[in-house]
Amino acid sequence: MTLGARVGVRTGWSRKSGQERLVYRLLLPVFGTVFVLATIPFVMAVIEATTAGAKGFVGLDNFKVALGNPALYEAVKQTVLYGAIALPVEILGGLGIALLVHRVIRSAALRAAIYVAAMLPIVIPQIAVGVVFRLVYQPDYGILNVLLGRTGADQLLWLSSPPLALIATASVDIWQWTPFVYLVMFAGLQTVPSESVEAAQVDGASSWMQFRHIELPYLRPLLLLVVFFRLADVVRVFDHVYVLTGGGPGTTTQYLSLYIYRIGFQFTDLSQASALAVVVMATMTIFYTIISRFLPADRG
Amino acid sequence: MQHTRPATRIATYSLLVGIAVLFAFPLYYLIVTSLKTKAELFDPVPSLVPNGLNLASYQSVLFGRGFIGLLVNSVIVGLSATIVAIAVAFAICYPITRLPASRRLRGFVLSWALSLRFLPPIAVVIPYFTIIRTLGLYNQLPALILVYTIFNLPLAIWMLRGFLDEIPLEIEQAALVDGASRWQAFRHVLLPLSRTGILAAVIIVFAFDWAEFLFAFILTATPQAQTFPVGVQGLVTQFEIIWNDMAAAGVIAIVIPLTLMLLARKYVMTGLTFGVIREK
Repeated sequence: MTLGARVGVRTGWSRKSGQERLVYRLLLPVFGTVFVLATIPFVMAVIEATTAGAKGFVGLDNFKVALGNPALYEAVKQTVLYGAIALPVEILGGLGIALLVHRVIRSAALRAAIYVAAMLPIVIPQIAVGVVFRLVYQPDYGILNVLLGRTGADQLLWLSSPPLALIATASVDIWQWTPFVYLVMFAGLQTVPSESVEAAQVDGASSWMQFRHIELPYLRPLLLLVVFFRLADVVRVFDHVYVLTGGGPGTTTQYLSLYIYRIGFQFTDLSQASALAVVVMATMTIFYTIISRFLPADRG
Repeated sequence: MQHTRPATRIATYSLLVGIAVLFAFPLYYLIVTSLKTKAELFDPVPSLVPNGLNLASYQSVLFGRGFIGLLVNSVIVGLSATIVAIAVAFAICYPITRLPASRRLRGFVLSWALSLRFLPPIAVVIPYFTIIRTLGLYNQLPALILVYTIFNLPLAIWMLRGFLDEIPLEIEQAALVDGASRWQAFRHVLLPLSRTGILAAVIIVFAFDWAEFLFAFILTATPQAQTFPVGVQGLVTQFEIIWNDMAAAGVIAIVIPLTLMLLARKYVMTGLTFGVIREK
């Protein structure tokens, strides 16, 4: 930092260095425009949520309707169930595979191959993931029932019986995102200094103790990051479920995003949907504010 | 270096192979199905191996059903939105990484961008739907370009910021000392050095744009403006499902991001974790 900049901080704009003024001159027009463009939807959502067509301003009426709808709580419950099935499997599975590969596989080429392979499911568009699993779970043509048929077992209605549909849609999430957890955890394990690991082994630490006391502390911030990203993604779940079940049977797989979609675009109640959008945006903003303090990334 | 017993190694390898098969099989079956003929779809038990390299379903999807038009829409929207997002992100990242911006300003811009990543698209698309219709842009490509640009900007900002931070300030300063103007230092020193980073960001942002479904689904209505994923969805949820066509459409939707990601594999994790995980 130049002397001018330090003086500038103390005495205000007029004494800021030319360089610092250049920062604002370059940043403001572009960032300002983008900021406004990205903020307009918030404002629009609030306006729509507090008005009702010809009636004009209706205050919090739309919020009362939106939050008074029992179907909302059903959707929230199903979303929580979906997350409760998918996230633990993804996180424990991804962590487990990362530890296995890290400890057992020594060949650099094999490690690199696994790394690239794990990227494949993640980059597949969710709509296409829906297509893939339609071919797995469809009762009459899906490969799962074909295989079950060969073993003589009963065929199951994977997508149209309530508990199975929930599990089937969550399993798709597990298929797509366990590799992501693996990749993050594997990258984290590479940052553990080998001296500490070797020292522990010399001291006769068991595999579990090595994980618990040496590796886990390095992984903790990354685990938090993964939970953070995955939680936010559960609220976004839409594409593959829309393709697989459309929210059915009944409302079993009508997760939060599908519920808001149905209110807004199938029942065309945009006022109620906007109220929901405002609630969701506000909740996610609070969630972000709280949890971002604990993230490992450098914030400045 | 760790020593594991042979039995443990064999068990681990078998477990990993099992997991790999579990993950790969659905994709394998998708490809096999896409290679089937119409007649094969009526087999009482669907076969697990391809009966030959029959590409009729691909032709049927792209030309018979006219999905080639949707593919073109996807590419136009993806390329335009990517180029605009990267240019805007660069203009935002330059002052906060190369000039003495205060920590607070820098922190504000980055944190604001990251917070957008956590807004569910469904909540954002409801107000956009009204805005786009008011502007008369409903069912038109520019609407998608606008929304995609804004929605992927955070990713572009975080990726470019990571790449720019790695280029030492001294290189540019040396040029300034030698009498170059700031513009010249930018144009002839920084820009060439950040070429790889820009390319990686372009590839990854394009792949995200390509995969986007919900915005396109809600903001378009006809093949004139629909993107490829919207077409795939229509194929799946229509009354009678044609399995091989559906699978072929799925393969096409997958091949493009997969190829791009293999090209930019070193940067995929940077993109997915907003720079928290960096491959060296």
